[in-house]
Amino acid sequence: MSEIAIRTAGLSKSYGDKKALVGLDLEVRAGEIFGLLGHNGAGKTTTVNLLTTLLPPTGGQMVIGGHDGTANPDAVRRIIGYLPENVQFYDNLTTLENLRYFGRLSGLRRPDARIDQVLEYLDFTGHENERLGTFSKGMRQRVGIAQAILHEPAVLFLDEPTSGLDPQGVRKLREIIVGLNRDLGMTIFMNTHLLSEVTKTCTSIGVLTAGELRYHDSLAATLDAFPDESSLEDIYLHLDSPRVA
Amino acid sequence: MSGFRATLQQEVLSARRERMPQVLLIVFLGMVSVSSLIGWLTHRTVTSVWETTRAAGLTTAPNPFAHAASLSYVKNVVIYVVLIGALLAIVLGVSSTLRSRKSRTTDLVLSRPVDVAVHLGAKLTGMAIWLGAILAVAGALTWVSIALIMRGALSAGDTIRLAAFFGVAWVFLLVFVVVGMLSGIHSRRETSALLLPIVAWSVIVFVLPQLGTAALPVSLLNPVAAVPVEGGAFAGVQQIVGPFALGEQFKTLSGAALGTGSPGSLGLAAFAIVTALAAGLLVLLGTRRDHLRRDLRD
Ligand SMILES: Nc1ncnc2c1ncn2[C@@H]1O[C@H](COP(=O)(O)OP(=O)(O)OP(=O)(O)O)[C@@H](O)[C@H]1O
Ligand SMILES: [Mg+2]
Repeated sequence: MSEIAIRTAGLSKSYGDKKALVGLDLEVRAGEIFGLLGHNGAGKTTTVNLLTTLLPPTGGQMVIGGHDGTANPDAVRRIIGYLPENVQFYDNLTTLENLRYFGRLSGLRRPDARIDQVLEYLDFTGHENERLGTFSKGMRQRVGIAQAILHEPAVLFLDEPTSGLDPQGVRKLREIIVGLNRDLGMTIFMNTHLLSEVTKTCTSIGVLTAGELRYHDSLAATLDAFPDESSLEDIYLHLDSPRVA
Repeated sequence: MSGFRATLQQEVLSARRERMPQVLLIVFLGMVSVSSLIGWLTHRTVTSVWETTRAAGLTTAPNPFAHAASLSYVKNVVIYVVLIGALLAIVLGVSSTLRSRKSRTTDLVLSRPVDVAVHLGAKLTGMAIWLGAILAVAGALTWVSIALIMRGALSAGDTIRLAAFFGVAWVFLLVFVVVGMLSGIHSRRETSALLLPIVAWSVIVFVLPQLGTAALPVSLLNPVAAVPVEGGAFAGVQQIVGPFALGEQFKTLSGAALGTGSPGSLGLAAFAIVTALAAGLLVLLGTRRDHLRRDLRD
């Protein structure tokens, strides 16, 4: 597949004087799992918030799935799924009630059959009628993935999907991400500060430092150039250091 | 536009599960159901005092309650609407918009093709339906309790008057729902989200009527609208702030609806309440997307 799922040109965001994202030029092809690496405060969440149309950019353009994100944000919203960092829900509603609501907001008329299907796929059946307030972080994250994929979005945005999960939870989530890409052909854009995450799930990676994209290539090319993980780690740290131009 | 019905149903479901509105709801319905009893006890006490007095030959005046309309028992409900009903409405409104901020689900909503005006309109409609259901129950409780006291069903005319009164109450309370919703959107903290509209409410209900009628001792808790003074500076103040004293305007309309009579211009009262609601709606439906995403501090 060579179709472009995400394209940005000079995409920027400033909060007052603070430049959170500076002139991002990025292309992610359809069917890829793109991992955006960066330290805390690098601008990863800002980037995802721009691409999901939650934030208006202060400059530049973006096209998601062929739709102009600034001119026609609703068209973008129809084809994306989004899992925020530390996802939360209406705590006094059940899994089913929460998912029904978000499914219907995504345009599903009768979401129940689809919810069953998705929960089955995520291996999360049996909690439909439990309230979210009682859920562990891992369970919440699973419901978070469910709400993001109910409407079978073409592009899925995940902000630090594995943060705060235990090793089993991380592994399970990784399988889910790869599965969604393989089984449903979703293009996935994920943020993380964990290098190991990216090498295990992604097909291409970008490194963001202080709001600037400093590196972008396919995982294969990256591994070719830097054959073992520790050197990739080195590259990351090297790029990451603000002193390096 | 997608999501109107979904949001509406979600609102009603959430509101039903929240603790604070429930407590207020129980207090409100409790007060409403005993209010006719209180009215009836007053009636009985006055009548028995009057009978004793007349038997002792101390008065020849007729029983002041002899011609009291059956709906006069409802007068206290007017006050419960202005006091507890309005608080309930504020809490419903605040929690409706604060809910998504507190649960941090705003981004889940806004990453979907949702129009902000439609979304808030759906929330308000949900609250309006919920409030309508509450008032319908209050109305039914009132009807039954009067029927019990009078030992017979209310006439069709009185039933219509009672329904009209609760209809007016619904519109009046919607103003406070909207004020609450706006506060829930714009307040930085959860506590101020509740506190600010309650301060506004107390100014509207307690302070404004006093400004105009300070020349006369007015019982704030009197279900009858305060009588404006004639002439002088107070009258001038009253002319200006009077229309904003929505509680008084509501008493005027209620008196007319129940047929218990009340001073004040019906036209002005209706205009003041409808204008307040329309202005609130305009501001609410004009809310910007980024306003909904503001973080809640604490
Ligand atoms: N609403 C805001 N107002 C002002 N500055 C902000 C705001 N949101 C983010 N920033 C700043 O923008 C920069 C990028 O923040 P962002 O949240 O995008 O980083 P991140 O890469 O997601 O970090 P983390 O790994 O901690 O999640 C940070 O310096 C942050 O302080
Ligand atoms: Mg972040």
